[in-house]
Amino acid sequence: MNAFLFAWRSLVRQPSRTLLGVLGVAAVGALLFDMLMLSNGLVLSMQSMLGRTGFAIRVSASESPLPGSGQVIRDAATIARVLADVRGVAAAVPVRYGDGEVLRATGAQSAAFIRVLGARDTGQRVWTMADGSRMDGDAMRGHIVINERLARLLGRKPGDQLRLRASCGGTTAAPAVTLQLAGIARFQFDDPDDVTAGTALEDFDRACGGDGQAVADQILVATTEGSEDADVRAAISRARPDLHPFTNAQMVAQLQAGGLSYFRQISLVLTTVTIAFAFLLVTVLLTVSVNQRVGEIAALRALGLSQRRVIADVLWESVLLVGSGALLAIPAGLVLARALDSILKAIPGVPDELHFFVYQPQALWVHGGLFAVTALLAAAYPMRLVATLPIAGTLRKEIVG
Amino acid sequence: MSRRRSFALCAVVACLVAVAGLGAEPSPADTPADVLISRHLAEAQGIASGDVIRLSTEASGAQARRVRVRGIYEPMPDPLELNDNKFKVRLHLPDLLAMTARSDDPLAAETVDGLNIALTNPADAASFSRDLMARVPGVLARPIQRAMGRASVFVVLERFHLAIALVTIFASTVFLLALSVMVVDERRDTVGVLRLIGLTSRRVLAQVFVEGLVIAAGGALFGLVLALGSEQVINRYFQWHYNTTLIFVRVTPKVALQCLAIAVPLGVLASVTASWLLLRKQVMALARR
Repeated sequence: MNAFLFAWRSLVRQPSRTLLGVLGVAAVGALLFDMLMLSNGLVLSMQSMLGRTGFAIRVSASESPLPGSGQVIRDAATIARVLADVRGVAAAVPVRYGDGEVLRATGAQSAAFIRVLGARDTGQRVWTMADGSRMDGDAMRGHIVINERLARLLGRKPGDQLRLRASCGGTTAAPAVTLQLAGIARFQFDDPDDVTAGTALEDFDRACGGDGQAVADQILVATTEGSEDADVRAAISRARPDLHPFTNAQMVAQLQAGGLSYFRQISLVLTTVTIAFAFLLVTVLLTVSVNQRVGEIAALRALGLSQRRVIADVLWESVLLVGSGALLAIPAGLVLARALDSILKAIPGVPDELHFFVYQPQALWVHGGLFAVTALLAAAYPMRLVATLPIAGTLRKEIVG
Repeated sequence: MSRRRSFALCAVVACLVAVAGLGAEPSPADTPADVLISRHLAEAQGIASGDVIRLSTEASGAQARRVRVRGIYEPMPDPLELNDNKFKVRLHLPDLLAMTARSDDPLAAETVDGLNIALTNPADAASFSRDLMARVPGVLARPIQRAMGRASVFVVLERFHLAIALVTIFASTVFLLALSVMVVDERRDTVGVLRLIGLTSRRVLAQVFVEGLVIAAGGALFGLVLALGSEQVINRYFQWHYNTTLIFVRVTPKVALQCLAIAVPLGVLASVTASWLLLRKQVMALARR
């Protein structure tokens, strides 16, 4: 019988302790697998989410790729046309973000506080229509689209009039503007609690107290197929040196260095703790198991089994214990990840499509690698015990005992 | 002794941003305004209390104004600002408005980003904001929903940590049970002899219970000592990493009691369960006869 089969039988002979050992490793392994998915999950999810928007570059007036720095792009419609002519640019859409309120039909009382988006879109990229007529560019003027949650809240349908008062980062809001509801739309980055409305850039400016200018926080740029984002970014910089273009990768890198680092830190700490726990668990189980079988091992050695062979038995036991646990940990980890993800997604402002735990093949490889090292290290001490076991002395002690 | 310095900084003051530029021109103001600067800015630029520095709203440093550093303050530690710019300057509002006001806007010197209003009864926030907007057209008044949002971030994180703790407790319980099964099995002969000489199963279980209690209490106390030791290490590491005085880990008496309340019963339960599984067997089987 080879060492693998021998180790297998040793484990099967003690089903309860083997089962508990495997379960322990699986529980710890599930947590480890989740932490590996968490370490890069937000970044990958953010990358994928930004990629799905169809815009590869964000052009800003400030040195931050995120809106809200206070600097705006004036005459955004003209600048967007200039950018649209840059080589590699498929579309340039100016957008403005702000807060606002929908007023009741009469009086100044608020019906709902909302998130407002202004855009000069020609391809339904910033929002997509779920119900109602699609309006692009100038046709959008005088109209508004709202998300389903807001439609339910207000009890309005396409064709109704809405009174909107907005705030674009300033302090005061002008008298409300009246817009016609063009339809129900889906907005990128909405979270389940968001009540969002979208309108033409110029109408948004009017709702903010402006005189209907095309003022934008950012210009979103979609690139043509086959063009490199970095090349297009450089071309935009040359065309408009006063503006700051950022690729999605640059934006994610900035987020990674900033707000997303908490989850990396916690994942690092918990990965270290869980792997140390797994090591301790397997070492203790194997050591106690070997200590209980010293008589049996000494007898086998006396019968002619080599030192290398008994060491291999212990190593295989460790590999089987850790390996089974690590394999079980993968489905358990995936289930646990869904539960933990749903907990974290309750954080206010987290979009529906963003995930904290994202499966990636690299996580699987690291998981396997860490457990392989753990299996080896955990077996080191018990292997030393059987390697240095005095055969005659142990047998004598067993018989006398 | 006052010194002149040029540096780049971003400061959030009274909800406005002030930026000082490199190579600033001498301040046109005769009397430097008093300002406070954050510890981080003071350390990074080697500024001491009493120094005169120049602040500008332009990145180029144009239109810089001389200000005197009256003190260095430690920004209130805020977990949500861990990665934010920590270079901050606090000015008196009129000084800030004088720096940021646009000359073509006659109302600029009277303009602020917002007014924070404390209500006698905070529960009236929604009705107050409605009344205010009805009486003062053009004003947008909102209850502090954002502050509620900030609080709920930590409620969610607490839930997340609790979920991880539950998984860890489950793994620890399984580990303890596995270990107990092995230890009890090792003592199978002893238990067999004890039963043969007349001790009842209940008597043996009582002995195991007391033994488990002592071991579990010892282990839990050791765990607490370990947690107290690692508390310092973790806090110092993260405080260094994020350059903050924020406390990341704190073992409070409540946390310590919670740990003891979970660890000790679990330890005892594992010992008793493992022993009970063994004691269910016939006495002769225990003595391997």
